Amino acid sequence: MIYIEHMNNIDRRNFLKTAAIGAASLTLGSATVKAADKPLSDDRIGILVDTTACVGCRHCEWACRTAHGLPAGELESYSDNSVFKEYRRPGNEALTVVNEFENEKNPLLPVFVKSQCMHCEKPACVSACIVGALTKNEDGSVTWNDDKCIGCRYCMVACQFQIPTYEWQKSIDPHIMKCDLCSERRSNGKLPACIEICPNEALLFGKRSDVLKAAKNKIKRKPDTYINHIYGEHEVGGTTWMYIAGKKFDKLKMPPLGTATAPGISEAIQHGIFAYFVPPVTLFALLGTMMWVTKWKKTNGSDEPKGKLPDVNDEKEK
Amino acid sequence: MKKIHFILIPIVFFGYVLSKVFQPDSESVKDKFTVESISSTEQNEMKKFHDNSSLRVTQKLNCKSCHSSEYPTKDDPGLLGCPRSEMISVYHSPEEGPETVLINEMSDYYSGVEFPHKVHAEMSEMSGGCTGCHHYNTTGPVLNCRKCHESSRSREDVSLPDLKAAYHRQCMTCHKQWSNDNGCSTQCHTRKGSGSIINTGTSKNKTHPALNLPTKLVWETNSKTNKIVTFFHDEHINKFNLSCTSCHNQESCIKCHAGKNRGDIGKLSRKEKSIEEHHQPCANCHFGNSCQKCHRDKEMLSFDHARSSGWVLKSYHAKVSCTKCHGTKMPYRKVEHKCVTCHKSFSAEFDHKLAGFTFSEGHTGLECKNCHSGGDFTKTPVCTDCHDDKSFPQDLPGTRK
Repeated sequence: MIYIEHMNNIDRRNFLKTAAIGAASLTLGSATVKAADKPLSDDRIGILVDTTACVGCRHCEWACRTAHGLPAGELESYSDNSVFKEYRRPGNEALTVVNEFENEKNPLLPVFVKSQCMHCEKPACVSACIVGALTKNEDGSVTWNDDKCIGCRYCMVACQFQIPTYEWQKSIDPHIMKCDLCSERRSNGKLPACIEICPNEALLFGKRSDVLKAAKNKIKRKPDTYINHIYGEHEVGGTTWMYIAGKKFDKLKMPPLGTATAPGISEAIQHGIFAYFVPPVTLFALLGTMMWVTKWKKTNGSDEPKGKLPDVNDEKEK
Repeated sequence: MKKIHFILIPIVFFGYVLSKVFQPDSESVKDKFTVESISSTEQNEMKKFHDNSSLRVTQKLNCKSCHSSEYPTKDDPGLLGCPRSEMISVYHSPEEGPETVLINEMSDYYSGVEFPHKVHAEMSEMSGGCTGCHHYNTTGPVLNCRKCHESSRSREDVSLPDLKAAYHRQCMTCHKQWSNDNGCSTQCHTRKGSGSIINTGTSKNKTHPALNLPTKLVWETNSKTNKIVTFFHDEHINKFNLSCTSCHNQESCIKCHAGKNRGDIGKLSRKEKSIEEHHQPCANCHFGNSCQKCHRDKEMLSFDHARSSGWVLKSYHAKVSCTKCHGTKMPYRKVEHKCVTCHKSFSAEFDHKLAGFTFSEGHTGLECKNCHSGGDFTKTPVCTDCHDDKSFPQDLPGTRK
């Protein structure tokens, strides 16, 4: 906006000059932006949720709340099974929840599915955030920055898993709440809280490549137990949290998403257009051409327009 | 000329933009390619796995049971996950194992557990034996969990569960089905700081409570004729001397323990069985019998050797095991009611007095068949069979004066 206003006060020659410089600087600028957008590390985190190993103790819920300073209550109170009667979603006071699903193979052993932010390899929330408050880190985690967020909640709309939630109840400094893979704990050399507390290691934490290999091995070893699908291996371009299960994932309320990345199409358009400062240059080039042609026609004279073009402001005043 | 420049520049820009937008995403194309290649190789490996599944039956191992690489080296053994049921295991009687095991390694929130090993070991005989828990045991001493399972959760090799998970997975599968209870402190643990280890003292000398065995089970089938099936559980144990494990050898604990505190869900524990599953335990022995052996129009009477065969088992014969006469092979061989069927080397040394008839001097030279015609010893011969009743006892066989 500032740029356009500034444009109004300069003449054509200057405008073209500035445009050229602007384009050049932005080309450089976009190059530096790309360099800052670090590629994902080969050792980035992967977590495998083995839904056949989860016993639904909900200790992860307690640990998560405790680690994030949310009201957690007593650990014993989490053995109450009645919460499974209703399907629950992660919210601003529970960044992870476990839901129960029927197990046709053995009704006595229901399937439990933990849900939380998937930490997509190509996260839609990061792409949608207009101020860069959400970051895809080198280690694979997607974190939110309080200092940058303006509370537009675009990330909530963008997420295919509908994970980020807003602290509606807070009038002052509401946060966008979602799993941050316990970045604070990990910086102190600890594991994420849910992973540390899980009694059955239904949450397998490691390098994404190792975890993926372990998952494939499990499926290969027990083809009767697991279906041959690792949810999150390719979904929306891959996710940090991955799931294996004994029944189809859409039956576990995991959305059947394609392998295309969510920001893929929109970013291709937006970044395509805006990269190298193309649209403003094009727009003003077009406008400039039109003005130049009109003026040239008006003067009705020689092949070449002579003298300076009148200022846009002058035109308006008339 | 300059005009053309101003028209060309936007066109070039637009062209560039369009090409950028509609350019196929090279990375996603690459991804798709690898997806396909992975799934096809996986399918092949799966097929291989199924082809090798005869391993389960023969319990033979080859290199590939444990190693993923074709040429394993010490530095890179390429070990696969634990193959569980494919491993050979040594057998130990429950008495040889420890009575209790204290599990007290990694307790952050809860105190340790005193695991009643013996009770579990005893009952494990009916569910596949020691291998149910000690799933990796080559011939040698019985390995404990921590021999293979690392105690650290953040570790290099994530293919095996860590120690905490290894312990819990052993217990949870059954106990979860048993009680549907998620409470850690209701069955095994106590919350740290709130008391001592649960079960202390009580698990010593703990044995499985006496089993409440059924005497007779009667089923009604859906069939129109012969719909009643009767099974005498006590007879199979007491009369036919079968051990529990001869029928119950692959049971899950849940067969008996399910639905304790579950209410309605407990009823679901009786899974629908196929015809094969229903008949399998009986068919192991009764495979040669006709359907009418079990399927009757009314309840079967309990087994009586006299009734079913017409041969009353008295004194000596009552103590003889079934297999002595009927053979060990199932179904039992039918035996004719003749002594020679079993007593093939029947000799004169036999003390005929025991049969209630003392030979007089004149009878000693006779052969058995002279009186017991046709080798039928069931019928007791009487004097008149040989001696003419009119001249008996005056006219005895042989010369007498």
